[in-house]
Amino acid sequence: MRNLTPHIPQLFMIVFLLIMAITAVAAGIPSMRLLNDSMIRLAMNGVLVISLIPMLNVGAGINYGLPVAISAGLLGMSIAVNFRIEGLIGFLAAVLFSILAGWVFGCAYAGILNRVKGREEIAGIFIGFSFVFLMSFFWAVAPFKNAAMLWPIGGKGMRPTIGLTAYFEKVLNHLWAVQIGELILPLGLLAFFGFLGWLVYALFKTKLGLAILAVGENELFARLAGININKTRAYAIILSTVLGAVGICVYAQSYGFIELYEAPLMMAFPAASAILLGGSMGRKTSVFHAILGTFLFQTIYVYTGPIANTILVPEVSEIIRVILSNGIILYALLYEGRGKTYETN
Amino acid sequence: MVRKLTGILLVVVMLLSLVGCGSTEPVQDDAGVEESSYKIGIVTPTLSASEDEFRGAQKVMEKYPDMIKHIVLPDNFSAEQETAITQITSLGDDENTKGVIICAGYSGILPAIQKLKEKRPDIVVITAPIWDDPDMMSKYIDICLDTDWLERGVTIPTKAYKMGAKTFIHYSFPTHMAKELLVNRRDKMKETCEELGMKFVDISTPDPQTGSGPSAMLQFLQEDIPRQIEKYGVDTCIFGTNCPMQDVIIAKALDLGFIMAEQCCPTPTQGFPAAMGLEISSEDAGDFDKLNQLISEKAAAAGQTGRLSTWPIPVGYFLPEFSVEIAKDIIDGKIDRDHIDMEVLTSTAQEVAGVEVNFNKLKDEIDNYYLIIMESIIY
Repeated sequence: MRNLTPHIPQLFMIVFLLIMAITAVAAGIPSMRLLNDSMIRLAMNGVLVISLIPMLNVGAGINYGLPVAISAGLLGMSIAVNFRIEGLIGFLAAVLFSILAGWVFGCAYAGILNRVKGREEIAGIFIGFSFVFLMSFFWAVAPFKNAAMLWPIGGKGMRPTIGLTAYFEKVLNHLWAVQIGELILPLGLLAFFGFLGWLVYALFKTKLGLAILAVGENELFARLAGININKTRAYAIILSTVLGAVGICVYAQSYGFIELYEAPLMMAFPAASAILLGGSMGRKTSVFHAILGTFLFQTIYVYTGPIANTILVPEVSEIIRVILSNGIILYALLYEGRGKTYETN
Repeated sequence: MVRKLTGILLVVVMLLSLVGCGSTEPVQDDAGVEESSYKIGIVTPTLSASEDEFRGAQKVMEKYPDMIKHIVLPDNFSAEQETAITQITSLGDDENTKGVIICAGYSGILPAIQKLKEKRPDIVVITAPIWDDPDMMSKYIDICLDTDWLERGVTIPTKAYKMGAKTFIHYSFPTHMAKELLVNRRDKMKETCEELGMKFVDISTPDPQTGSGPSAMLQFLQEDIPRQIEKYGVDTCIFGTNCPMQDVIIAKALDLGFIMAEQCCPTPTQGFPAAMGLEISSEDAGDFDKLNQLISEKAAAAGQTGRLSTWPIPVGYFLPEFSVEIAKDIIDGKIDRDHIDMEVLTSTAQEVAGVEVNFNKLKDEIDNYYLIIMESIIY
């Protein structure tokens, strides 16, 4: 009864990963380190991917406007660094500021997206792109005071990359990290990621979550059931933005740098690829899809690099990886498009 | 009504911004015609695209406030070349403009210079640098300046060897390895390493230009550098061909203790400030002695004295001022624009930079295209 066709991309990727894992062992690349890296990458990028779920489920499509959310997170982190708040407290403060900024940005973003119903994805791309440049202007004139954030020659305006070593670099990665032999389990990072995943999972059990699902399923029926469509959509979009803002905080603490200016420009695309790879079918996306997708997408990156550099001609590996991951996303999109009916309202 | 108003407002804002881009200095033609009766235009990328050139131009503007007109190219140059061409040719509209200096590091600017030269053959044009076809450039441009990218294929491994490196790792990716200059430089590095008895390792990273942006490349570097250092030991010099890589490479060098002989663009302002979290107070901003001293202190604190190096001042910051000095001398008749003496270039450069700068000709048959290599500082 169970139709496996929609799961072909995942099965294919899993087989590909297994082959690579075996090759890695055969080529003598330290596998434990690769495993460590893939766990860190899962949590590091995972929150950004999870942040797409509320918008997908409310029927607003993939949030290509993720740079808006990322900018909110960057602003939150910049404020925390400006006040020189260090360590775990610094990270949590950054998250708190990001949530506030994400809320404000999310409200504006939701307002726009509610006016372009049905074309949210393309509108999102353009909103994201233009917002990044608007923020570039802001970064250049922002009145931040911490000298570690300012341009080294001009002494005014923000640097393109701000090092977090003195503040909250890797605080989650090192929190409750347990070493078993060569394997280091970043329990704190995974717990934080798991907690956010659980929050989103739990959300869809609440009244609001069910309303979001209902709006995504069929707006007409949802309205007949007494749900305020635009308000519910706005909640979902704000939620996505806030989660995205938290997502970049997790990413930045693990990467060790805050990247401003044009860095967020393309960040929506890997996240979108990951969720499609995870088997997201538009309006019925679960946290599991996001986690599976991120794991597959990022782990392939972790494995292809070293393997290719050891046994293949380096340039070829990069081409194969791009063909594989983009081809599979195309498959996912084709499958998603099949049998989908659009409601006009 | 609201929509109409917003529309009108948008149009006004766009028009204003267009006008705003044009000139950063009020034109004071009638105010005082003192010693600088002519003007020199400087064209640079925006502040966020490249701080060095922008600040370099600002610095000369402070030095000769009435003489310099600073123009900024569009942020997204490759998509808005037409705007750039209009901006550059418009410099020739002012009869008083006698010199144009272009510090952009883009290809596709030559057509603008051709147009400018057709209209105003008397204008002295110096490029520092632009990246078009050198033979064509030397025909239209009075002096072409650039960093000696290819020769660095010899100087970097040699410096690394002197700093104690036994292995040399070259990180790049397919899009860069499709560029002739970068491939040739890599091959030169390989040759030099073999001559010096160092092991050369070529590693390919995920390509930052395939749609996902640089994050995949940077994450790969973070994971791969520890692996390589474990394999080859700390006496390894790591070189990356892409600017965003430098933050990660320097941060990892502080952490793991390997050698970083030079970044892709050698300057103390690239990589070091972010990786070391340098706090530069606004009074010290732009003071390179102070900046280099701060880096030395941080390097010492990390036990990395003698293992990090770069050029003491950014080439991008040095070139605008240097080019203006040369252009001034040509306009004032102190230098003959058809026969430029390398000695004069060297001595002017030394005066402006405060360190030794070496000039080489790009090709023997072209006598107005010069490549520079600056003396290094080892922290």
